[in-house]
Amino acid sequence: MNEIAVNIKNLHKKYDESVYAVQGIDLSIKKGEFYGLLGPNGAGKSTTINAITSLVKPTEGNIKVFDKDIVSEFRYARFQIGIAPQEISNDWFFPVEQLLYFQAGFYGIKRKDAQERINFILHKVGLYNHKDKKMRQLSGGMKRRLQIARALVHDPKILILDEPTAGVDVALRHDLWDFLQELHKEGKTILLTTHYIDEAELLCERVGIINSGKLVAEDTVSNLKASTNKSKLEDVFLALTGRKLDD
Amino acid sequence: MIKNWVGFYTLSSREVLRFFTVWKQTIIPGVITTLLYIFVFGVALESRIDPIAPGVSYKMYILPGLLMMNVITNSVANTASSMLQMKLLQTLPELLITPLSSLELSISFIIGGAVRGFVNGVLILLICLMAGMSVQDPISTLFIILIVSWSFSSLGLFIGQMSDSWDQLSLIQNFVLTPLSFLGGIFYSVNDLPAWGMAISKVNPVFYTINALRYSTLGISDAPFVDSMAFIITFCVLLTILAVKTMESGKKIRF
Repeated sequence: MNEIAVNIKNLHKKYDESVYAVQGIDLSIKKGEFYGLLGPNGAGKSTTINAITSLVKPTEGNIKVFDKDIVSEFRYARFQIGIAPQEISNDWFFPVEQLLYFQAGFYGIKRKDAQERINFILHKVGLYNHKDKKMRQLSGGMKRRLQIARALVHDPKILILDEPTAGVDVALRHDLWDFLQELHKEGKTILLTTHYIDEAELLCERVGIINSGKLVAEDTVSNLKASTNKSKLEDVFLALTGRKLDD
Repeated sequence: MIKNWVGFYTLSSREVLRFFTVWKQTIIPGVITTLLYIFVFGVALESRIDPIAPGVSYKMYILPGLLMMNVITNSVANTASSMLQMKLLQTLPELLITPLSSLELSISFIIGGAVRGFVNGVLILLICLMAGMSVQDPISTLFIILIVSWSFSSLGLFIGQMSDSWDQLSLIQNFVLTPLSFLGGIFYSVNDLPAWGMAISKVNPVFYTINALRYSTLGISDAPFVDSMAFIITFCVLLTILAVKTMESGKKIRF
């Protein structure tokens, strides 16, 4: 049986009286799936992601995480999700390791129980030797890796990555891809938004394309290419949205 | 109800550690300001100012008010700046997606501000004791410092959540809190004011905080102690509810 990790039904979001950021999105992501959400800027990707994590209050519709409502059973739902946001946060006050202990604590994990996991994650993202540094001492790539470390510290079943490779160099991007593929093999459900078409093609089992707040297509990359008679995913995207990815 | 106790403890500790890591900005200034007030009013000006209450020098008279002004300023500043800073530095969303309820979030923030207000209050109290101020009722004195810290920490959380910029925050601090503190009777007895001035003072919450503390330390007050305590406790409950309900509403933090 294919268990559903994230189930979005009829999601609508209006930020003001006239403009819908998202209008009627239905989306299901299976447990263990690597799902890519593509769309031009302002298409509704971040609104959809933020609705899953309850930062955005839907105007209409509902979202379930492993069949539990994200509002009425918010503690369960939020514990299942780790998110690396698009914007890099800057906590000036504390060193890297302490930030991870705080993050684990917010999820109800005691310091002594978090220690092993934090050491593992720090090694995994290559920040162990920088664990005593504060954020202002880290490079842009290190900050991006710390975002992912924070998302993983409570060992969530679902990992949401909002443009994780934006602004990072090629070598780090490839390292992150390897790391994400490893996490996927371990069974994590991953929802990725990206502007890099090669990233989506390489990593994602299924892709959803959002345009003007609507899910205009959803399938595997090969099926999308076949159904639109295009050889490249970028051409599929252009055909469906009439825009480039970074428009 | 608080259910995520580990998360609640972690965030409360973070908020307390946050101000201790920058103690030069959060603790020292209040101490220096109070020492300057004591020097100016106690050494330079006291001989020129008549005592306001019999047997109590002017320097002693103003000390409870100075202490309270420090408590209020520090407790408001802690929660307001922590919340606004997290909003502006994009760290708040990462906190809002954790399994902490609005109640757990707001009370944790309030604890951070209340501890800062209390620590500053106790330090100033020690300076006041060294300057010769008596404390007639130590338990009530500490309780008043704590409850006022909690109240204004709650107010700070509300202000921080509703503010969009440092300008807005400083507007509220400069044009609302500072006048309320100065007009609450730090430097004078409201009995010396005209009738309209007295009437205005009696709806100023800072007036009751100063007079409660003045009574518990010096044994003198412009308002009955019971009235002051009733006002302070009611004020504390209302501000706590305001802060928690505003957090629950998600106004300006969830969209």
